[in-house]
Amino acid sequence: MKTLVSLTVLALGCSACAVAPMMIGSAVSKMDMNDVQNLVSRVQKVSDGQRDLTEPEEIALGEGVASNMLGAAPLLQDKRAQRYVNQVGLWLAMQTERADLPWHFAVLDDNEFNAFATPGGYVFITRGLLLSMRNEAELAGVLAHEIAHVLRKHHLQAIKTSNARSALAEAASSFMAQAPVTAKVGQLTPALAKLANAMTEMYTRGLDKNDEYEADRMGVVIAARAGYDPYGLPAVLQSLQTVNPNYPGLALMFKTHPSIASRLDLLAQVMDKPFDAYENQPNGVARFKAQVTMPRLAGK
Amino acid sequence: MKRVLAVLMATAAAGGGVFAAELAYTVRPTEVKARPFTDASTLASLGESSKVDVLQRQASWIQVKADRATGWVKMLSLRFDQLGNAPRAGGANSNLAVLFNIASTGSGGSTPTTGVKGISEEALRNPRANPTQLKQMNDLQIAAAEVQTFARAGKLSAKTMAYLPAPAAAGAPVLAQGAKK
Repeated sequence: MKTLVSLTVLALGCSACAVAPMMIGSAVSKMDMNDVQNLVSRVQKVSDGQRDLTEPEEIALGEGVASNMLGAAPLLQDKRAQRYVNQVGLWLAMQTERADLPWHFAVLDDNEFNAFATPGGYVFITRGLLLSMRNEAELAGVLAHEIAHVLRKHHLQAIKTSNARSALAEAASSFMAQAPVTAKVGQLTPALAKLANAMTEMYTRGLDKNDEYEADRMGVVIAARAGYDPYGLPAVLQSLQTVNPNYPGLALMFKTHPSIASRLDLLAQVMDKPFDAYENQPNGVARFKAQVTMPRLAGK
Repeated sequence: MKRVLAVLMATAAAGGGVFAAELAYTVRPTEVKARPFTDASTLASLGESSKVDVLQRQASWIQVKADRATGWVKMLSLRFDQLGNAPRAGGANSNLAVLFNIASTGSGGSTPTTGVKGISEEALRNPRANPTQLKQMNDLQIAAAEVQTFARAGKLSAKTMAYLPAPAAAGAPVLAQGAKK
Protein backbone atom coordinates (compact mmCIF):
# COMPACT_ATOMS: atom_id res chain seq x y z
CA MET A 1 0.00 0.00 0.00
CA LYS A 2 2.92 2.34 -0.44
CA THR A 3 2.01 5.34 -2.43
CA LEU A 4 3.71 6.34 -5.64
CA VAL A 5 4.44 9.69 -4.11
CA SER A 6 8.14 9.16 -3.89
CA LEU A 7 8.33 8.53 -7.60
CA THR A 8 7.32 12.00 -8.50
CA VAL A 9 10.35 13.29 -6.72
CA LEU A 10 12.59 11.38 -9.09
CA ALA A 11 14.27 13.26 -11.83
CA LEU A 12 12.24 13.71 -14.95
CA GLY A 13 15.22 13.35 -17.20
CA CYS A 14 14.93 10.60 -19.71
CA SER A 15 18.05 11.27 -21.68
CA ALA A 16 19.26 7.78 -20.98
CA CYS A 17 16.20 6.01 -22.29
CA ALA A 18 16.87 6.08 -25.96
CA VAL A 19 13.89 5.04 -27.96
CA ALA A 20 14.76 2.21 -30.27
CA PRO A 21 12.59 2.93 -33.22
CA MET A 22 11.96 0.15 -35.64
CA MET A 23 10.25 1.60 -38.62
CA ILE A 24 7.95 -1.08 -39.76
CA GLY A 25 6.94 0.48 -43.01
CA SER A 26 3.27 1.13 -43.11
CA ALA A 27 1.56 -1.91 -44.51
CA VAL A 28 -0.52 0.46 -46.49
CA SER A 29 2.33 1.79 -48.52
CA LYS A 30 3.17 -1.71 -49.64
CA MET A 31 0.04 -2.08 -51.68
CA ASP A 32 0.77 -2.80 -55.31
CA MET A 33 -1.39 -2.93 -58.39
CA ASN A 34 -2.64 -6.44 -57.64
CA ASP A 35 -3.97 -5.23 -54.34
CA VAL A 36 -5.66 -2.37 -56.08
CA GLN A 37 -7.33 -4.69 -58.57
CA ASN A 38 -8.50 -6.88 -55.75
CA LEU A 39 -9.94 -3.83 -54.10
CA VAL A 40 -11.74 -2.80 -57.23
CA SER A 41 -13.42 -6.15 -57.52
CA ARG A 42 -14.68 -5.92 -53.99
CA VAL A 43 -15.62 -2.29 -53.78
CA GLN A 44 -19.20 -2.92 -54.64
CA LYS A 45 -19.44 -5.37 -51.79
CA VAL A 46 -18.12 -2.80 -49.35
CA SER A 47 -20.71 -0.37 -50.53
CA ASP A 48 -23.35 -3.00 -50.02
CA GLY A 49 -21.96 -3.93 -46.64
CA GLN A 50 -21.04 -7.38 -47.89
CA ARG A 51 -17.38 -7.32 -47.06
CA ASP A 52 -15.16 -5.76 -44.47
CA LEU A 53 -12.38 -3.35 -45.23
CA THR A 54 -9.13 -5.07 -46.13
CA GLU A 55 -6.43 -4.95 -43.52
CA PRO A 56 -4.46 -2.19 -45.31
CA GLU A 57 -7.65 -0.14 -45.55
CA GLU A 58 -8.37 -0.76 -41.90
CA ILE A 59 -4.85 0.35 -40.90
CA ALA A 60 -5.02 3.46 -43.07
CA LEU A 61 -8.36 4.39 -41.56
CA GLY A 62 -7.09 3.79 -38.03
CA GLU A 63 -4.05 5.92 -38.75
CA GLY A 64 -6.35 8.75 -39.81
CA VAL A 65 -8.40 8.44 -36.63
CA ALA A 66 -5.20 8.30 -34.56
CA SER A 67 -3.99 11.50 -36.20
CA ASN A 68 -7.28 13.14 -35.24
CA MET A 69 -6.93 11.89 -31.65
CA LEU A 70 -3.51 13.49 -31.52
CA GLY A 71 -5.11 16.67 -32.77
CA ALA A 72 -7.43 16.55 -29.73
CA ALA A 73 -4.75 15.67 -27.15
CA PRO A 74 -0.99 15.69 -27.72
CA LEU A 75 1.50 12.96 -26.92
CA LEU A 76 3.01 13.03 -23.47
CA GLN A 77 6.61 14.17 -23.91
CA ASP A 78 8.11 11.43 -21.75
CA LYS A 79 10.13 8.89 -23.71
CA ARG A 80 10.48 6.54 -20.77
CA ALA A 81 6.74 6.25 -20.23
CA GLN A 82 6.03 6.04 -23.97
CA ARG A 83 8.53 3.26 -24.45
CA TYR A 84 7.23 1.39 -21.41
CA VAL A 85 3.64 1.51 -22.62
CA ASN A 86 4.78 0.26 -26.03
CA GLN A 87 6.65 -2.63 -24.42
CA VAL A 88 3.68 -3.74 -22.34
CA GLY A 89 1.26 -3.19 -25.21
CA LEU A 90 3.23 -5.05 -27.84
CA TRP A 91 3.90 -7.97 -25.50
CA LEU A 92 0.14 -8.27 -24.98
CA ALA A 93 -0.64 -7.93 -28.69
CA MET A 94 1.85 -10.69 -29.46
CA GLN A 95 -0.39 -13.10 -27.49
CA THR A 96 -3.29 -12.54 -29.87
CA GLU A 97 -4.56 -13.66 -33.25
CA ARG A 98 -3.55 -10.34 -34.83
CA ALA A 99 0.01 -10.20 -33.54
CA ASP A 100 1.28 -9.03 -36.92
CA LEU A 101 -0.63 -5.76 -37.07
CA PRO A 102 1.65 -2.71 -36.86
CA TRP A 103 0.69 -2.03 -33.21
CA HIS A 104 1.34 1.41 -31.75
CA PHE A 105 0.77 2.57 -28.19
CA ALA A 106 0.96 6.05 -26.74
CA VAL A 107 0.25 8.10 -23.64
CA LEU A 108 -1.78 11.25 -24.26
CA ASP A 109 -0.85 14.32 -22.23
CA ASP A 110 -4.26 14.66 -20.67
CA ASN A 111 -5.34 14.29 -17.05
CA GLU A 112 -8.71 12.68 -17.67
CA PHE A 113 -9.19 8.93 -17.21
CA ASN A 114 -9.64 7.20 -20.52
CA ALA A 115 -8.19 4.84 -23.10
CA PHE A 116 -8.96 4.47 -26.79
CA ALA A 117 -8.11 2.22 -29.70
CA THR A 118 -8.47 2.87 -33.40
CA PRO A 119 -8.75 0.27 -36.15
CA GLY A 120 -5.51 -1.34 -37.26
CA GLY A 121 -3.79 -1.18 -33.89
CA TYR A 122 -3.36 2.36 -32.55
CA VAL A 123 -3.94 2.35 -28.78
CA PHE A 124 -3.99 5.39 -26.49
CA ILE A 125 -4.09 5.81 -22.75
CA THR A 126 -4.36 9.14 -20.99
CA ARG A 127 -1.77 10.27 -18.53
CA GLY A 128 -4.48 10.59 -15.89
CA LEU A 129 -5.52 6.94 -16.18
CA LEU A 130 -1.91 5.77 -16.27
CA LEU A 131 -1.09 7.71 -13.11
CA SER A 132 -4.12 6.33 -11.29
CA MET A 133 -2.78 2.80 -11.73
CA ARG A 134 -0.78 0.89 -9.15
CA ASN A 135 1.07 -1.72 -11.19
CA GLU A 136 1.87 -3.13 -14.61
CA ALA A 137 -0.93 -5.69 -14.45
CA GLU A 138 -3.46 -2.84 -14.24
CA LEU A 139 -1.88 -1.16 -17.26
CA ALA A 140 -1.89 -4.50 -19.06
CA GLY A 141 -5.58 -5.05 -18.27
CA VAL A 142 -6.59 -1.72 -19.78
CA LEU A 143 -4.34 -2.04 -22.85
CA ALA A 144 -5.61 -5.60 -23.41
CA HIS A 145 -9.21 -4.33 -23.33
CA GLU A 146 -8.32 -1.81 -26.05
CA ILE A 147 -6.42 -4.44 -28.04
CA ALA A 148 -9.58 -6.56 -27.99
CA HIS A 149 -11.54 -3.77 -29.67
CA VAL A 150 -8.99 -3.85 -32.49
CA LEU A 151 -9.01 -7.65 -32.73
CA ARG A 152 -12.79 -7.76 -33.06
CA LYS A 153 -12.98 -4.61 -35.26
CA HIS A 154 -15.62 -3.15 -32.99
CA HIS A 155 -15.24 0.37 -34.37
CA LEU A 156 -15.74 -0.86 -37.92
CA GLN A 157 -18.88 -2.68 -36.80
CA ALA A 158 -20.11 0.46 -35.11
CA ILE A 159 -19.68 2.68 -38.13
CA LYS A 160 -21.64 0.29 -40.31
CA THR A 161 -24.70 0.91 -38.21
CA SER A 162 -24.14 4.62 -37.72
CA ASN A 163 -24.91 7.76 -39.61
CA ALA A 164 -21.40 7.58 -40.96
CA ARG A 165 -22.28 4.58 -43.12
CA SER A 166 -22.42 6.75 -46.22
CA ALA A 167 -18.86 7.87 -45.57
CA LEU A 168 -17.85 4.22 -45.46
CA ALA A 169 -19.43 3.55 -48.83
CA GLU A 170 -17.85 6.67 -50.31
CA ALA A 171 -14.44 5.70 -49.04
CA ALA A 172 -14.87 2.25 -50.50
CA SER A 173 -15.77 3.70 -53.89
CA SER A 174 -12.75 5.95 -53.83
CA PHE A 175 -10.46 2.96 -53.55
CA MET A 176 -11.26 2.23 -57.19
CA ALA A 177 -9.71 5.42 -58.43
CA GLN A 178 -6.97 6.08 -55.97
CA ALA A 179 -4.07 3.93 -54.96
CA PRO A 180 -2.31 3.36 -52.74
CA VAL A 181 -4.71 4.11 -49.96
CA THR A 182 -2.29 6.52 -48.36
CA ALA A 183 0.56 8.20 -50.14
CA LYS A 184 2.47 8.39 -46.87
CA VAL A 185 1.88 8.48 -43.17
CA GLY A 186 -0.63 11.11 -42.22
CA GLN A 187 -1.78 11.83 -45.75
CA LEU A 188 -5.01 10.05 -46.41
CA THR A 189 -7.04 10.15 -49.56
CA PRO A 190 -9.85 12.70 -49.21
CA ALA A 191 -12.53 10.04 -48.96
CA LEU A 192 -10.64 8.08 -46.35
CA ALA A 193 -9.97 11.24 -44.38
CA LYS A 194 -13.69 11.91 -44.44
CA LEU A 195 -14.35 8.42 -43.13
CA ALA A 196 -11.69 8.90 -40.45
CA ASN A 197 -13.40 12.13 -39.37
CA ALA A 198 -16.78 10.42 -39.22
CA MET A 199 -15.28 7.64 -37.14
CA THR A 200 -13.55 10.12 -34.81
CA GLU A 201 -16.93 11.59 -33.98
CA MET A 202 -18.04 8.11 -32.90
CA TYR A 203 -15.62 8.36 -29.96
CA THR A 204 -17.98 10.86 -28.35
CA ARG A 205 -20.74 8.23 -28.39
CA GLY A 206 -18.93 4.99 -27.76
CA LEU A 207 -19.38 1.44 -28.90
CA ASP A 208 -22.14 -1.08 -28.43
CA LYS A 209 -22.20 -2.09 -24.76
CA ASN A 210 -21.89 -5.77 -25.63
CA ASP A 211 -18.67 -4.93 -27.48
CA GLU A 212 -17.37 -3.33 -24.28
CA TYR A 213 -18.29 -6.41 -22.27
CA GLU A 214 -16.61 -8.61 -24.87
CA ALA A 215 -13.46 -6.47 -24.72
CA ASP A 216 -13.45 -6.88 -20.93
CA ARG A 217 -13.74 -10.67 -21.21
CA MET A 218 -11.02 -10.83 -23.86
CA GLY A 219 -8.82 -8.34 -22.04
CA VAL A 220 -8.52 -10.43 -18.89
CA VAL A 221 -7.66 -13.49 -20.99
CA ILE A 222 -5.02 -11.62 -23.01
CA ALA A 223 -3.47 -10.35 -19.76
CA ALA A 224 -3.41 -13.91 -18.39
CA ARG A 225 -1.83 -15.20 -21.62
CA ALA A 226 0.86 -12.54 -21.33
CA GLY A 227 1.76 -13.84 -17.89
CA TYR A 228 0.16 -11.10 -15.79
CA ASP A 229 -2.10 -11.19 -12.78
CA PRO A 230 -5.35 -11.06 -14.79
CA TYR A 231 -7.20 -9.05 -12.15
CA GLY A 232 -5.62 -5.77 -13.21
CA LEU A 233 -8.58 -4.70 -15.34
CA PRO A 234 -11.23 -5.26 -12.64
CA ALA A 235 -8.90 -3.55 -10.15
CA VAL A 236 -8.85 -0.44 -12.36
CA LEU A 237 -12.62 -0.57 -12.69
CA GLN A 238 -12.99 -0.79 -8.91
CA SER A 239 -10.68 2.20 -8.51
CA LEU A 240 -12.77 4.22 -10.94
CA GLN A 241 -15.86 3.18 -9.03
CA THR A 242 -14.65 5.30 -6.12
CA VAL A 243 -14.74 8.40 -8.29
CA ASN A 244 -17.76 10.66 -8.44
CA PRO A 245 -19.23 10.16 -11.93
CA ASN A 246 -19.66 13.93 -12.21
CA TYR A 247 -15.92 14.35 -11.99
CA PRO A 248 -14.99 16.10 -15.26
CA GLY A 249 -12.05 13.83 -15.97
CA LEU A 250 -14.38 10.84 -16.16
CA ALA A 251 -17.24 12.38 -18.10
CA LEU A 252 -16.32 11.05 -21.53
CA MET A 253 -15.38 7.60 -20.28
CA PHE A 254 -18.62 7.23 -18.34
CA LYS A 255 -20.66 8.55 -21.25
CA THR A 256 -19.17 6.09 -23.72
CA HIS A 257 -19.10 2.91 -21.61
CA PRO A 258 -21.65 0.77 -19.79
CA SER A 259 -21.74 1.25 -16.02
CA ILE A 260 -18.73 0.03 -14.10
CA ALA A 261 -21.02 -2.01 -11.85
CA SER A 262 -22.41 -3.92 -14.82
CA ARG A 263 -18.93 -4.51 -16.22
CA LEU A 264 -17.73 -5.87 -12.87
CA ASP A 265 -20.84 -8.03 -12.54
CA LEU A 266 -20.16 -9.63 -15.91
CA LEU A 267 -16.47 -10.15 -15.20
CA ALA A 268 -17.41 -11.75 -11.88
CA GLN A 269 -19.49 -14.28 -13.77
CA VAL A 270 -16.63 -15.43 -15.97
CA MET A 271 -13.50 -14.81 -13.86
CA ASP A 272 -13.73 -17.73 -11.53
CA LYS A 273 -12.36 -21.21 -11.91
CA PRO A 274 -10.58 -20.58 -15.23
CA PHE A 275 -8.43 -17.91 -13.63
CA ASP A 276 -7.37 -19.73 -10.49
CA ALA A 277 -4.26 -21.03 -12.22
CA TYR A 278 -3.15 -17.53 -13.21
CA GLU A 279 -3.99 -15.37 -10.24
CA ASN A 280 -0.53 -15.47 -8.74
CA GLN A 281 1.20 -14.38 -11.92
CA PRO A 282 3.31 -11.22 -11.44
CA ASN A 283 1.75 -7.77 -11.32
CA GLY A 284 4.96 -5.92 -12.14
CA VAL A 285 4.55 -3.35 -9.40
CA ALA A 286 8.26 -2.59 -9.05
CA ARG A 287 8.82 -2.05 -12.77
CA PHE A 288 5.70 0.09 -13.04
CA LYS A 289 6.94 2.38 -10.30
CA ALA A 290 10.35 2.63 -11.94
CA GLN A 291 8.96 3.47 -15.38
CA VAL A 292 5.98 5.72 -14.66
CA THR A 293 7.78 8.63 -13.14
CA MET A 294 6.34 11.72 -14.76
CA PRO A 295 4.88 14.47 -12.60
CA ARG A 296 1.20 14.32 -11.91
CA LEU A 297 0.29 17.56 -13.52
CA ALA A 298 -0.46 17.78 -17.23
CA GLY A 299 0.77 20.57 -19.43
CA LYS A 300 4.15 21.09 -17.78
CA MET B 1 6.25 22.17 -9.44
CA LYS B 2 6.80 23.30 -5.89
CA ARG B 3 3.10 23.35 -5.39
CA VAL B 4 2.80 19.82 -6.72
CA LEU B 5 5.45 18.55 -4.37
CA ALA B 6 3.83 20.31 -1.47
CA VAL B 7 0.56 18.59 -2.27
CA LEU B 8 2.24 15.25 -2.66
CA MET B 9 4.03 15.58 0.64
CA ALA B 10 0.87 16.61 2.40
CA THR B 11 -0.84 13.59 0.89
CA ALA B 12 1.97 11.30 1.91
CA ALA B 13 1.81 12.64 5.44
CA ALA B 14 -1.91 12.09 5.58
CA GLY B 15 -1.73 8.57 4.19
CA GLY B 16 1.59 7.39 5.46
CA GLY B 17 0.98 7.16 9.17
CA VAL B 18 -2.58 6.45 10.04
CA PHE B 19 -4.20 4.05 7.65
CA ALA B 20 -7.40 5.36 6.18
CA ALA B 21 -9.43 2.61 4.60
CA GLU B 22 -11.83 2.77 1.71
CA LEU B 23 -15.36 1.54 2.07
CA ALA B 24 -16.88 -1.19 -0.03
CA TYR B 25 -19.90 -3.44 0.19
CA THR B 26 -20.59 -7.01 -0.79
CA VAL B 27 -22.76 -7.67 -3.84
CA ARG B 28 -23.38 -11.28 -2.92
CA PRO B 29 -23.10 -13.52 0.14
CA THR B 30 -19.37 -13.77 0.74
CA GLU B 31 -17.08 -15.79 2.97
CA VAL B 32 -14.26 -14.06 4.82
CA LYS B 33 -11.19 -16.28 4.61
CA ALA B 34 -8.25 -16.35 7.00
CA ARG B 35 -5.84 -16.25 4.06
CA PRO B 36 -6.19 -15.29 0.38
CA PHE B 37 -6.89 -18.84 -0.81
CA THR B 38 -10.10 -20.64 -1.65
CA ASP B 39 -9.32 -23.50 0.70
CA ALA B 40 -8.30 -21.30 3.64
CA SER B 41 -10.47 -21.49 6.75
CA THR B 42 -13.61 -19.37 6.81
CA LEU B 43 -13.69 -16.73 9.55
CA ALA B 44 -17.14 -15.33 8.89
CA SER B 45 -19.92 -15.29 6.33
CA LEU B 46 -21.17 -11.92 5.14
CA GLY B 47 -24.58 -11.37 3.66
CA GLU B 48 -25.23 -9.28 0.59
CA SER B 49 -24.72 -5.51 1.04
CA SER B 50 -22.42 -5.88 4.04
CA LYS B 51 -20.18 -2.85 4.52
CA VAL B 52 -16.47 -3.51 4.85
CA ASP B 53 -13.28 -1.46 5.16
CA VAL B 54 -10.79 -2.24 2.40
CA LEU B 55 -7.24 -2.87 3.53
CA GLN B 56 -5.34 -4.22 0.53
CA ARG B 57 -5.58 -6.23 -2.67
CA GLN B 58 -3.61 -9.33 -3.52
CA ALA B 59 -4.38 -10.86 -6.93
CA SER B 60 -8.08 -11.77 -6.86
CA TRP B 61 -8.42 -11.21 -3.11
CA ILE B 62 -9.04 -8.11 -1.04
CA GLN B 63 -8.28 -7.95 2.65
CA VAL B 64 -11.17 -6.36 4.50
CA LYS B 65 -12.20 -5.44 7.99
CA ALA B 66 -15.79 -6.42 8.61
CA ASP B 67 -17.85 -6.19 11.77
CA ARG B 68 -17.12 -9.73 12.78
CA ALA B 69 -13.72 -10.46 11.25
CA THR B 70 -10.72 -9.19 9.39
CA GLY B 71 -9.79 -11.45 6.50
CA TRP B 72 -9.85 -11.98 2.75
CA VAL B 73 -12.76 -11.92 0.31
CA LYS B 74 -12.82 -12.37 -3.47
CA MET B 75 -12.36 -8.92 -5.00
CA LEU B 76 -15.24 -9.34 -7.41
CA SER B 77 -17.60 -9.86 -4.49
CA LEU B 78 -17.09 -6.19 -3.63
CA ARG B 79 -18.27 -2.90 -5.09
CA PHE B 80 -16.71 0.34 -4.01
CA ASP B 81 -18.39 3.41 -2.70
CA GLN B 82 -17.95 6.74 -4.35
CA LEU B 83 -15.61 8.87 -2.40
CA GLY B 84 -16.44 12.10 -4.16
CA ASN B 85 -13.86 14.27 -5.78
CA ALA B 86 -11.27 13.85 -3.09
CA PRO B 87 -10.76 10.23 -2.04
CA ARG B 88 -8.71 9.86 1.09
CA ALA B 89 -5.09 8.96 0.83
CA GLY B 90 -3.98 5.54 1.90
CA GLY B 91 -7.03 3.59 0.80
CA ALA B 92 -7.06 0.89 -1.83
CA ASN B 93 -5.74 3.35 -4.40
CA SER B 94 -3.67 6.15 -2.99
CA ASN B 95 -2.68 7.25 -6.50
CA LEU B 96 -6.22 8.41 -7.11
CA ALA B 97 -6.11 10.51 -3.99
CA VAL B 98 -2.93 12.18 -5.15
CA LEU B 99 -4.45 12.99 -8.54
CA PHE B 100 -7.57 14.39 -6.99
CA ASN B 101 -5.68 16.50 -4.56
CA ILE B 102 -3.80 18.05 -7.43
CA ALA B 103 -6.97 18.53 -9.40
CA SER B 104 -8.63 20.32 -6.53
CA THR B 105 -5.53 22.33 -5.74
CA GLY B 106 -5.12 23.42 -9.32
CA SER B 107 -1.93 24.54 -10.96
CA GLY B 108 -0.65 28.05 -11.21
CA GLY B 109 -3.82 29.53 -9.82
CA SER B 110 -6.12 27.82 -12.28
CA THR B 111 -9.61 26.78 -11.29
CA PRO B 112 -10.15 23.32 -9.82
CA THR B 113 -11.29 21.56 -12.96
CA THR B 114 -8.96 22.96 -15.60
CA GLY B 115 -6.40 20.27 -14.97
CA VAL B 116 -8.87 17.57 -15.86
CA LYS B 117 -11.08 19.10 -18.48
CA GLY B 118 -10.44 16.07 -20.63
CA ILE B 119 -10.45 15.52 -24.31
CA SER B 120 -12.99 17.92 -25.70
CA GLU B 121 -15.91 16.35 -27.48
CA GLU B 122 -15.82 19.35 -29.77
CA ALA B 123 -12.32 18.37 -30.86
CA LEU B 124 -13.63 14.91 -31.75
CA ARG B 125 -16.66 16.21 -33.62
CA ASN B 126 -14.61 18.65 -35.67
CA PRO B 127 -11.30 16.83 -35.75
CA ARG B 128 -8.04 18.25 -36.95
CA ALA B 129 -5.41 15.75 -37.96
CA ASN B 130 -1.98 16.09 -36.46
CA PRO B 131 0.42 14.34 -38.87
CA THR B 132 3.49 15.59 -36.99
CA GLN B 133 2.38 13.88 -33.78
CA LEU B 134 1.30 10.82 -35.73
CA LYS B 135 4.81 10.47 -37.09
CA GLN B 136 6.16 10.82 -33.53
CA MET B 137 3.82 8.06 -32.41
CA ASN B 138 4.90 5.83 -35.29
CA ASP B 139 8.52 6.45 -34.35
CA LEU B 140 7.82 5.16 -30.81
CA GLN B 141 7.20 1.68 -32.17
CA ILE B 142 9.58 -0.90 -30.77
CA ALA B 143 10.96 -4.18 -32.06
CA ALA B 144 9.58 -7.59 -31.18
CA ALA B 145 13.01 -8.69 -29.96
CA GLU B 146 13.09 -5.88 -27.42
CA VAL B 147 9.71 -6.98 -26.14
CA GLN B 148 10.91 -10.53 -25.55
CA THR B 149 13.69 -9.16 -23.38
CA PHE B 150 11.18 -6.96 -21.59
CA ALA B 151 8.93 -9.95 -20.85
CA ARG B 152 11.82 -12.05 -19.54
CA ALA B 153 12.97 -9.21 -17.30
CA GLY B 154 9.46 -9.01 -15.85
CA LYS B 155 9.24 -12.81 -15.37
CA LEU B 156 6.28 -12.87 -17.73
CA SER B 157 5.82 -16.20 -19.44
CA ALA B 158 3.25 -16.65 -22.17
CA LYS B 159 0.37 -19.02 -21.50
CA THR B 160 -2.34 -20.52 -23.66
CA MET B 161 -5.88 -19.69 -22.67
CA ALA B 162 -9.05 -19.62 -24.75
CA TYR B 163 -11.31 -16.57 -24.81
CA LEU B 164 -14.34 -16.81 -22.58
CA PRO B 165 -17.91 -17.10 -23.81
CA ALA B 166 -20.35 -14.42 -22.74
CA PRO B 167 -22.31 -15.44 -19.65
CA ALA B 168 -25.86 -16.32 -20.57
CA ALA B 169 -27.22 -13.51 -18.42
CA ALA B 170 -25.41 -10.90 -20.49
CA GLY B 171 -27.85 -11.25 -23.31
CA ALA B 172 -24.94 -11.09 -25.68
CA PRO B 173 -24.52 -13.71 -28.36
CA VAL B 174 -21.86 -16.28 -27.63
CA LEU B 175 -19.33 -15.79 -30.37
CA ALA B 176 -17.28 -18.55 -31.83
CA GLN B 177 -14.40 -18.73 -29.42
CA GLY B 178 -10.96 -19.86 -30.38
CA ALA B 179 -7.84 -20.34 -28.38
CA LYS B 180 -4.77 -18.67 -29.66
CA LYS B 181 -2.37 -20.86 -31.64
